[in-house]
Amino acid sequence: MKKILIALFIMLFVAGAMVIFAETQQPSITKSYGVVSTTAYYKDFNEVFTGDWQKYGQKFTILQEKYFKNIYTILIIATPLIFLLHFLVIGAFKFAHSGEKIPWYSFLGRVIHWIAAVTFVIMLISGLAMIYGNLFGGGDFIRFLRYTHGIVAIVFGVTALILFVLWVKDAIPKTYDIKWFLVMGGYLSKSQKIIKADKFNAGQKVWFWLATLGGIIMAVTGYIMYFFAGTTDTLRISVMIHIILGMALLVMFIVHVYMGVFSVKGSLQSMIYGYKMPEEAKMLHNAHYEKLKKEGYISE
Amino acid sequence: MARMRFLCDVERCIDCAGCAVACKEGHNVPVGINRRRVISINEGEPGEKSISVACMHCSDAPCIAVCPVDALYQRDDGIVNVNKDTCIGCGYCFFACPFGAPQFPKGNSFGARGVMDKCTFCAGGPDEDFSDREMKLYGQNRIAEGKVPLCAGMCSTKALLAGDGDKVANIYRERVFKRGSGANAWGWSRAYDKK
Repeated sequence: MKKILIALFIMLFVAGAMVIFAETQQPSITKSYGVVSTTAYYKDFNEVFTGDWQKYGQKFTILQEKYFKNIYTILIIATPLIFLLHFLVIGAFKFAHSGEKIPWYSFLGRVIHWIAAVTFVIMLISGLAMIYGNLFGGGDFIRFLRYTHGIVAIVFGVTALILFVLWVKDAIPKTYDIKWFLVMGGYLSKSQKIIKADKFNAGQKVWFWLATLGGIIMAVTGYIMYFFAGTTDTLRISVMIHIILGMALLVMFIVHVYMGVFSVKGSLQSMIYGYKMPEEAKMLHNAHYEKLKKEGYISE
Repeated sequence: MARMRFLCDVERCIDCAGCAVACKEGHNVPVGINRRRVISINEGEPGEKSISVACMHCSDAPCIAVCPVDALYQRDDGIVNVNKDTCIGCGYCFFACPFGAPQFPKGNSFGARGVMDKCTFCAGGPDEDFSDREMKLYGQNRIAEGKVPLCAGMCSTKALLAGDGDKVANIYRERVFKRGSGANAWGWSRAYDKK
């Protein structure tokens, strides 16, 4: 009984609030027979010209004019420099080439990964060409790259979806991934330590989610912009998401290339031939190594 | 140097769309591109007003600010134009414009859109004045002939004014003065005694 009374009281309160709210709404001041200043009409017109310029258009204009290109320039220069520094100071991990090699990446995974890699690089270059288009004087060449950007996106999108389905189980975050970040996977020191990590370590997991989900978001926002598939405000939001997410992808791609090619000797071969050496697996992906040992795939 | 401006007097605009027709006809604008359009608010209700809007040739033009290939430029007389040879059709100018002035035709390749087209203030483009290429890409060049843009020239009520900003402002100021304000203002209330 008490619960019914409380519920009724709340409904009455909400209904009353809605009525009062509705009564306080004024129709636009322009809808009257009386004399209205022309400024009021211009104000009403502004709302109909093209979406909410004050909110989204102005933001996009300021970001695109002053910030986007400059931030990209800083990232393009700083990120490789930082990792060059890492390579000179700390260098690559070297592990023993002895022992029974462990299958790590399936054939399908490797093939799709390399198709994704090539298409991703094409997307990156064509995207950057548009950002720095004025350095090339725009024109036919940049326009062609814009069309390329839109077409290759389809291929990349397909590979991103396939890779997501193939590897999502190996990329689920675990609690020991947090510990991985606290030591940055042991990459900040020359000495090798046993690191508890899955088949994909925490850094690889971050790149996985960013590249697959981020790639899908880039494809969706890109589609909206390419085909003008939305209201003007939707287009404005899409372009801002697309460019900002692009920054994250650019940085993490450079990191991924460094980590996959330079930071561990033999890691590139792993992605080409599909095997990892037992010592590297034991040191850098210990949780997965122990799991394989328990299931009898590795004999020590 | 004269600073060219548009001003549409909403008290005079009757939504005849003569400006839009004149622009389309004079420049052979393809179907689907609306360099100039008339927008009405409160249609059929008290306080119905119309305005003719195209590119406003802004002083601090957002379109010029966002173009990644610097295809848009502003002339000394304030007219903002696009260089269709440089434009890549990315659409940033459309996102940035508060008036929706940039228009995009159907493109040729891969379903992509073509390069940007918009009101040129009847001043053609970067190509040589009165050349065939300029006519084909941008339309007539009336400013180089010393003539007023087609839309303002054809306006039936002279709601749409275009030309030297000072002269346009003067004309409008005199109109506002003549119409009066407050209790003396021209409008329904004065004509029909409705408050």
